[in-house]
Amino acid sequence: MKRNYINSILKIFAVAILFFSCSSDLDFDQAKDLKLEPVIVANLAYFSVPANLLAQNTENQPLFDVRDFDVFKDKFFNDHLKRCDFDVEVENTIERNFIVTLRLLDANNTILETISYPVPAYKGSQNIVKYPTEVFQNLRLENLKRTVKIVFVVLIDGEPLTEQSLGNLKLRSSATVYLDIE
Amino acid sequence: MRKIGIIALLLVAFSCFSQNKEVLYNFTSIPQASMVNPGADVSYKFYFGFPVLSGISANVGSSSFSAYDLFANNGVDFNDKVRNVINKSSKNDKVVTNQQLEIFSGGFRVGGKESRSYVSFGAYQEFDFFMYVPKDLALLALDGNKNYIGKAFDLSDLSLRAEVLSVFHVGFHSKLNDKVVVGGRAKIYSSGANAVSTHNSGYIYTGQAAGTSNIYEQIIYSNLELKTSGLAPFTKDEYEGNIAEDITHNTFFNGSLGFGVDAGVTYYIKENVQFTASIIDLGFVKQSKNIETLTYKGTYEYKGTNPDFLGSNDPENVFDEFDEAIPRDTLYNKYTTWRPTKIYSSIQYSFGKSRADEECNCRMPQSKERFKNDVGLQFFAMSAPREPIAALTLFYKRNILEKLDFKASYTFDTFSNKNIGLGLSGTIGMVNIYALVNNVLEYKDISKANSAAFQLGINFVFQDKEE
Repeated sequence: MKRNYINSILKIFAVAILFFSCSSDLDFDQAKDLKLEPVIVANLAYFSVPANLLAQNTENQPLFDVRDFDVFKDKFFNDHLKRCDFDVEVENTIERNFIVTLRLLDANNTILETISYPVPAYKGSQNIVKYPTEVFQNLRLENLKRTVKIVFVVLIDGEPLTEQSLGNLKLRSSATVYLDIE
Repeated sequence: MRKIGIIALLLVAFSCFSQNKEVLYNFTSIPQASMVNPGADVSYKFYFGFPVLSGISANVGSSSFSAYDLFANNGVDFNDKVRNVINKSSKNDKVVTNQQLEIFSGGFRVGGKESRSYVSFGAYQEFDFFMYVPKDLALLALDGNKNYIGKAFDLSDLSLRAEVLSVFHVGFHSKLNDKVVVGGRAKIYSSGANAVSTHNSGYIYTGQAAGTSNIYEQIIYSNLELKTSGLAPFTKDEYEGNIAEDITHNTFFNGSLGFGVDAGVTYYIKENVQFTASIIDLGFVKQSKNIETLTYKGTYEYKGTNPDFLGSNDPENVFDEFDEAIPRDTLYNKYTTWRPTKIYSSIQYSFGKSRADEECNCRMPQSKERFKNDVGLQFFAMSAPREPIAALTLFYKRNILEKLDFKASYTFDTFSNKNIGLGLSGTIGMVNIYALVNNVLEYKDISKANSAAFQLGINFVFQDKEE
């Protein structure tokens, strides 16, 4: 009887040893190193201006529009933004040269950035220009983050247009946003 | 943000179990076997569990990765590990944890000495966590949408539930004749904290279509809902208590109440062929304390900033527009959650009759002889938000000594196809000690295991003295 009990105990311990396990060296602290670096693309701006709208301005005064641009008001976005690229493409089917200008304004309407895109005149064949990427980093990025408005300016470079002028000036653009979230 | 990330990762790392207790099931020398089959052929004059130590179980499982994959101290950049884990996971991979702690338990035979009817009772605390790997959202957070033009990130990937509750139960089982044991148990649930977000849908889409005016077509369609109960006070700024203490208090004394039943049967087709089946936690909780449901429902299309040169003053405010399109709403409706219901079944063949009669056989008053070996097959299934989890187990049980039983199991499930479990239950005098573990092959390096589970406990079991 007694031996039976002792045997039981021994066997329980023998198997219990099997339950002890080993584990590789784990380091849970490295969770602190978690860094998300998503790259997000988004529409930036779009317009399509018909030639006859441009023709209303016979003095060749620039056509402009001011738009609120408030994404940088978001603190989380602003804090984690590490880089931003603008890609602009313009399709011109009007027989004039243009200069399209984007002006970034801060809350005091101070101009932070002026970016100009010379647009060649339409000559009967496809006329789409993709402009070099504008990269905002460091100081330039800090300026961008203060932007609250964008002014779009279209200037005809040449003879004024008439009500009968044909074609469109189309701008499409995107922003590529590099976030760094730790 | 970083905090959320760390908490999420730790949850993932530590919370990986299915609730299958394949080693405990039908291990009838352990009184707690009746917790997974109230109709188990368990007999005693009376028993009680060592308070708080009678039943400790924990179970962690992750079907696609292990703790090692994320936290190995091997010099690989943590972000690369996260990326690898996400890449090799699918949206149907799950991370599951279940932990139970018996506070007290006991049972006694009712009727005379010849009676074979038993009442059992007890209380235990349980923590459940179930989450599918939110693959698309993880990809979006890690990579952004730049390399996924044309892909709709699926918001239904977000699916999780978590609950802390206490369970008070009373059960009854009776051996109707030599062939049939039936049993049932009623449970009162008291849920201290619950969070459910399982009926989500929607997508985040960035595409490019020829002939459209903008460069991208960008649409967020969101139908997200998170229901919580018992958690709302902790999210308020003015909360100044101890969350763990308050949840514990609510779990036992001020929880949302629910009701459930367990039922089970053991049937001896022949003397040495036994069939069992049980259903556990067929029940619900009416979530009613500190309810808060958050919803984000709506559709938003982002078109960028679009001048028309017509002098119109049309102020655009991206965030206001977004908030208007997909508003955050808070609702305070009570809701009902169903407990994860488990089904077990087994068929067992016994052989090799015990010659233990020459030793003391006082523990088995009803059977003069017993079989020393049992082999068989067990089936397990559990309800889950998308589709049930199932497992199949082969087992071998041996009565090593009169008071020492051993069980080995081999389980196939979503977490592993080579899950070997081992269990021992020994009784010394009136003290019954049991220890059960699964996935022992992985114990040579537990950190690489996709799942691990153990149960252990101490009971005091009293049988009739042989007269």
